[in-house]
Amino acid sequence: MSAIGLGKGRARLQGAGLDLALPYLLLAPSVLVVMGVLVYPLWDGLRASARAYRYGAVIGEIGFQNYLALWSDAQFRNALWVTARFVALSVAIETVLGLALALFCLREFRGVRLLRTVLIVPMVITPVVVAIVFRLIYAGDVGMLTAISQALGGGQVHILGDPVRAFIGIVALDVWEWTPLMFLILLAGLQTLPVEPFEAARVDGAGAWRSFVDHTLPMLRPVLAVAIVLRAIDAFGTFDQVFVLTRGGPGEATRLISLYGYDAAFKFQQTGYAAALFVTVGLVVLAFALAAVRLLRRVGPA
Amino acid sequence: MAGLKDRGGAVSRRALLRGGAGLAIGPLLIPALGGSMPAAAAGRKVVIGAFADGGLTPFKEKIIPLAKAEGFDVEFLEDEYGVTLEKWFADAQSGAGQYDLFLLDDPWVPQFGAANVLQDLGADGIDATDKDWIGSMLEMGFWPPRQGPRVKGFEAAAPTLICVPFVGDLQTLTYRSDVYAGGAPQSWDEVIARGKEGVAAGKIKYPVVFRGVSGNPIVTSWYPIFLSFGGSFFDDKWNVTFNSEAGKASADFFVGAMKQNAPPGVVEFDSDQEGASILGGEAGAIVQYSGNAVKADDPQQSKMVGKLDFGVVPKKASAIAQMGIFIAGVPKSAPNKANAVAFLKWFTSPQVQAKLAQAGSIPVKRSAFGVPDPGNRLIPVALKQLDAGALPRPRTPDWAKVEELLGIELNKALQAGSGGGAALDAAAVQVKAYLTEAGYYK
Repeated sequence: MSAIGLGKGRARLQGAGLDLALPYLLLAPSVLVVMGVLVYPLWDGLRASARAYRYGAVIGEIGFQNYLALWSDAQFRNALWVTARFVALSVAIETVLGLALALFCLREFRGVRLLRTVLIVPMVITPVVVAIVFRLIYAGDVGMLTAISQALGGGQVHILGDPVRAFIGIVALDVWEWTPLMFLILLAGLQTLPVEPFEAARVDGAGAWRSFVDHTLPMLRPVLAVAIVLRAIDAFGTFDQVFVLTRGGPGEATRLISLYGYDAAFKFQQTGYAAALFVTVGLVVLAFALAAVRLLRRVGPA
Repeated sequence: MAGLKDRGGAVSRRALLRGGAGLAIGPLLIPALGGSMPAAAAGRKVVIGAFADGGLTPFKEKIIPLAKAEGFDVEFLEDEYGVTLEKWFADAQSGAGQYDLFLLDDPWVPQFGAANVLQDLGADGIDATDKDWIGSMLEMGFWPPRQGPRVKGFEAAAPTLICVPFVGDLQTLTYRSDVYAGGAPQSWDEVIARGKEGVAAGKIKYPVVFRGVSGNPIVTSWYPIFLSFGGSFFDDKWNVTFNSEAGKASADFFVGAMKQNAPPGVVEFDSDQEGASILGGEAGAIVQYSGNAVKADDPQQSKMVGKLDFGVVPKKASAIAQMGIFIAGVPKSAPNKANAVAFLKWFTSPQVQAKLAQAGSIPVKRSAFGVPDPGNRLIPVALKQLDAGALPRPRTPDWAKVEELLGIELNKALQAGSGGGAALDAAAVQVKAYLTEAGYYK
């Protein structure tokens, strides 16, 4: 085919709207994949949440009954409350610690590179392994805390048999594992801050604390907000560590919503109820994330 | 691939693709052409799913080699107890066909039965009329159950043998022979009183030990006390009866006297901690299943070899233990169904059951209890316990939920060290609400 012929063919195709259709054709594979792995499971979950199941089989369509039943279920309300407290406490401690570590490691000193590497090690260990290690630490009879206590003349230390201590125990595990993530994000944020305002503040005689409050925190606010939102969403889904460490006990003291949903779905075969539970939790997390993003837009960089 | 071409074009792209395709298709064609793969050559394939438990150790170590000699190619897939139920149920329900045989915990039978995902083994030729079966164990394999209440939807259904007893198991008492010198303590009061004497004499630190973790562990530990006090879970219409006077007395005794005489951290104890306590010489007595009991004689696991004896569980009104056996079911989706059934027939034959008893497991055929050389001294005690009384958990697909609700309340009372009866009342309200919602009383 000659060049003129090619030109005419292209023109004809363009005339047929190929140029208009081409972007959609190129996007089609991605859209299909997204529909298959994201939209369809979501749709199926929503459909399941409106159904009643018995012995693993659908026995009827029940509309919003599963959603209504959730709020009259004391175990669900308890799990939601435990999760909210867990997320709030863990993320707050991780933010403060992560920021402190990031500020410390911002300075260049001998060994800081090694320190930065070491500090992120907990984050890369498999959560189940972390939980097993903490189980060994917390074991009241032969655990590390008991060993230390006994070496100092004390008695056995029982963490997992007491509701308050067990709750603190899972928070401590989460803090140990995920503070490095906050550290990493905040360190990256700190490294991008301009130096001029700090130099000006120093010339004006501002101390380290004044400089931190007046410059570092306001300028770091967007990064802090992103880090907190990401970590909170992640903490809301915490499962494996608590599954291994306490299975939600003692009583229901550490029963997170993820554990309760898992039990409902797989242990008790309440498929529809579990689907409604996870849809509800998804909406709660989504609302939290949207509110946080809105807040982030409002405050903006100082 | 410039390097290949540079060597005189010895390997062309086409030849490379052809060779690759040959390598990929070759293995697929071999069986089709009548060739045999290594696995097929090894015998009749049977993929067995099991949860990790010491009660299956003799089967793994002694019986699987025998099965291989018999022509079965056994693949034994083990999982942690906590994840097996959901994993296998999903496999059976979706028809994934990853297993030929499930070694279920017997309370799971109703769940699989109600979902209709297991083979009718009676129709496949397993003889349920054989008088050699331990009757109470065989009954657990029927769905709907031949005795006791039935759940809604199955009132009129004909009972089908969907599982067969595989390895027997039940709770018995393990006690320190130097503390309880006259033999096994006969009553719960005696366990405590003589245990205290053992503590005073410096032989042990605590009279008893048990599992206090919420859910299945605490309910399992409390169960023999509950049964021995004369408690029952449900009446024949599924009305909750576990918070009867007898039931409440058992719960009060459990969270009160038992806790006071157990190690301080018992609320957080699961099987590993309670095992360490009795095998390490701290505790005087424990009621447990055979998988842990037999560790008493293993010098690698026990510091108390020669100092631990076995007996029937202590008595209040009676001496009844919880029975919880390994029970085998063949999923309808099993890829090697015929092999699985043939394996079950072979394994439950009196000869192989005798070998199982010699290997150290509790058999499921009465004749095997009479072997002259049982693999451990627990086996005759297990027969005594069977005759004294051993009951399975209620035959309902919703047992896991009932156990969960009950376990949480019992665990809370155990933390407090009192209020066992009130805990049963609280659990009863929740269980009744759950069963009402599930349609039990319509």
